[in-house]
Amino acid sequence: MITLEVLKVGIVSCSGEAIPEGTLSRIACRKVLDELRPGEAVTICLPLFIAGGSEEREFAAKYPTITVDGCEKRCAQKSTEKLSGKPARSLLIPEILKKHGIDAPTSLRNLRREEKAAAQVVAEEIARTVDEVLNA
Amino acid sequence: MSGKTNKVVVLACSGIGKVYGAIARETTYELMDRVRPGVVVTTCLPLLVIEDSDAKKLITDNPVITIDGCPKSCAHKSVEAQGVKPARTYQAINFYKAHKELKPDGIAELDENGRKLAAIAADELAQVVDELAAGGGK
Amino acid sequence: MGEFLEVTYDKFVFKVKVGYLYSRDDFWARVDGNVALIGVSDFLQKARGDVAFLEIVEAGTEVKQGQELGKIETIKATFGILSPVSGKVIEVNPELDSSSFLINEDPYGAGWIYKIELGASEGGKDSLLTAESYYELMKEKLAEEMKKK
Repeated sequence: MITLEVLKVGIVSCSGEAIPEGTLSRIACRKVLDELRPGEAVTICLPLFIAGGSEEREFAAKYPTITVDGCEKRCAQKSTEKLSGKPARSLLIPEILKKHGIDAPTSLRNLRREEKAAAQVVAEEIARTVDEVLNA
Repeated sequence: MSGKTNKVVVLACSGIGKVYGAIARETTYELMDRVRPGVVVTTCLPLLVIEDSDAKKLITDNPVITIDGCPKSCAHKSVEAQGVKPARTYQAINFYKAHKELKPDGIAELDENGRKLAAIAADELAQVVDELAAGGGK
Repeated sequence: MGEFLEVTYDKFVFKVKVGYLYSRDDFWARVDGNVALIGVSDFLQKARGDVAFLEIVEAGTEVKQGQELGKIETIKATFGILSPVSGKVIEVNPELDSSSFLINEDPYGAGWIYKIELGASEGGKDSLLTAESYYELMKEKLAEEMKKK
């Protein structure tokens, strides 16, 4: 087997359905993939990663990963550590929001304007982390 | 589980790679917010894997419906891995197959077609939720 | 040589089944005597996405090499099933009616689409690519995709 070598980072979002920060994490991670760092990051589908997706796990074992969690339970970080190895970086949405003086979101869906702005801030933070990891 | 219950757990895979993951998630929210508020509850799927005790208790004590975004069936498998058999299992792609005119788009945020599709899917699942909440059909 | 030739791009592994023949349109043929099973290559099913709808022709349909034998519709695209061989359809995979996802899950096995009785000149199979040649073509197509990103 050969690999077409391109430097990339795997982003593992918690995507938690039960808390607004899970939605924020999902939206911010997709922004990084689709708008801010296209071609430099790959999304690791956390449910598939957990349920035995070999492609997800092999990628995460081979390339650096950034986990993005919505709460202190840190499901994405813990799952990645358990199934593939320590992430290069582990981000926590509440910490990012606090750093930027942003209130916690309250919407599980249909984000309000200020929550969309918060998603953009979080996305930019993730993008900076992608840069750090790729330049490390 | 036996006897009457009035909570039904709906778990979406919320896969971030395909639009069907977003459909599964939105359908869950429609059920929780509009179609059967107070009856349908959810929890974060990854909590089951990290052995969160509250999440495990929720799916053990109540009937579970899983909605998956692809045939990998992560939500279904995650529940089964905890020794619980989902009462009902759905594939979000089948919601689209039944309503071809509503071709959805968007992964992080669904477009209008996607939101309509999720709303219709939730309406169609209401009867199943009612049956399970009444203690039947598990 | 193993069962597949593989190339990895991002987290995706693209497979080419050894021993099959391939058209440049990314369809495969498994020839056994005067009969061929045909289907979609792993590269094509990954590129197009999850199969939602299938438009299938009936057994008895005559087909020329490269001609359309129905359509596949995914969320991303609708594309023709282009037969890699000429002949007559003698069987349609009955599983696809209820399980079209087999085309994505097992494109070279359970996801076969048609069984075709080969026409003249063995259905034109000699013009098809070997697995090794298709593997090189697939890598070129992937490299083109990478340039676009």
